[in-house]
Amino acid sequence: MHLVHPGALAAQVHRTLAEALPEGVGLTVLDLSALPEYWEAALTGGRAETTVEAIAERLAAELMGPQFALVGWSFGGVVAQAMIELLPAERRPERLVLLDSIAPTEEYQQPDEALEPPLLLNWFAMYLGAKRGRPVPLDPGALAGLGVDDGLPLVLDAATASGALLPDTPLPGLRKLYDTYVDGLLRNNRLTAPYRPKPSSVPLVLVKAERSLIPEDPTLGWQPLAPHGLSLAVAPGDHYTMLTRPDAAQAIARLVHPA
Amino acid sequence: MAQVTAVEAQQWLVEKIAHRLGVAPGEVSPEVFFDELDLDSTEALILAGEMESWLGFELGTTTLWYHPTIKDLAAHIAEESSQRASA
Repeated sequence: MHLVHPGALAAQVHRTLAEALPEGVGLTVLDLSALPEYWEAALTGGRAETTVEAIAERLAAELMGPQFALVGWSFGGVVAQAMIELLPAERRPERLVLLDSIAPTEEYQQPDEALEPPLLLNWFAMYLGAKRGRPVPLDPGALAGLGVDDGLPLVLDAATASGALLPDTPLPGLRKLYDTYVDGLLRNNRLTAPYRPKPSSVPLVLVKAERSLIPEDPTLGWQPLAPHGLSLAVAPGDHYTMLTRPDAAQAIARLVHPA
Repeated sequence: MAQVTAVEAQQWLVEKIAHRLGVAPGEVSPEVFFDELDLDSTEALILAGEMESWLGFELGTTTLWYHPTIKDLAAHIAEESSQRASA
């Protein structure tokens, strides 16, 4: 089984899923962080000198074996779907499993300004909690209408209160982490905006996290790309912890390799 | 903007890293490579942001690549600070 991983968290987060797979099934993580033109963009302002098509072509060359299951997490789902369309029909997997991945369809091909600070700060708090192994709970709506300068101190307070960050973590330090996180998102947003995907040649299975990036959209925009069917499932956890929770891994493993 | 010397930069880095690691400053060697320290990427970015706030200027993304120890980085910071002060 191959899994396309877009960075943000270390590729080792998928160890939980690897352990949940049936005996004899191995997991190969295709980590986009290994592509300098992709990875460095998160540190240099969020503009990658590449395209979804070029990334997909590079990764498709890594697919081994005549038969394999394919999974993509987050932006990795967009790349995985593009990879399948590059393969000859006989090498395509039976289905593509998308883990809380947002479709590269019109609804989500947006300018940078559409990613507003309250949304980004909420995602950042979720990310920080997963990264540090301690959830960072924010009151629903606490960030509504706030900019980064006013909202980030609320995230800092919540993160220090929960133990995700040391009590004396300075705001400029957290700002650097936030800016780098957002540059990674902007990089993916900018790669997605001009991309014109082909409809999928295989059925799609979307596994949303209970706390998805976009809770209000059950299909995350994938319906127009799924002429061979779109199945929906939910895994425990949020966009990030769905990768490390054993209960989520069990659910995902069953969808990738049905008994 | 005040000019920062290599000694000041090294002292600042040692103190902050020791604090983050929960050890005494004397236990952090200026010769050790950053990737040998028990700092994860989150801690490293937070430290970088704090340092840039203290210095008043940003460091390039490849700085740690070319200056991979506290001692090397402190010398680079002093040079950069000197250039900016005299600009």
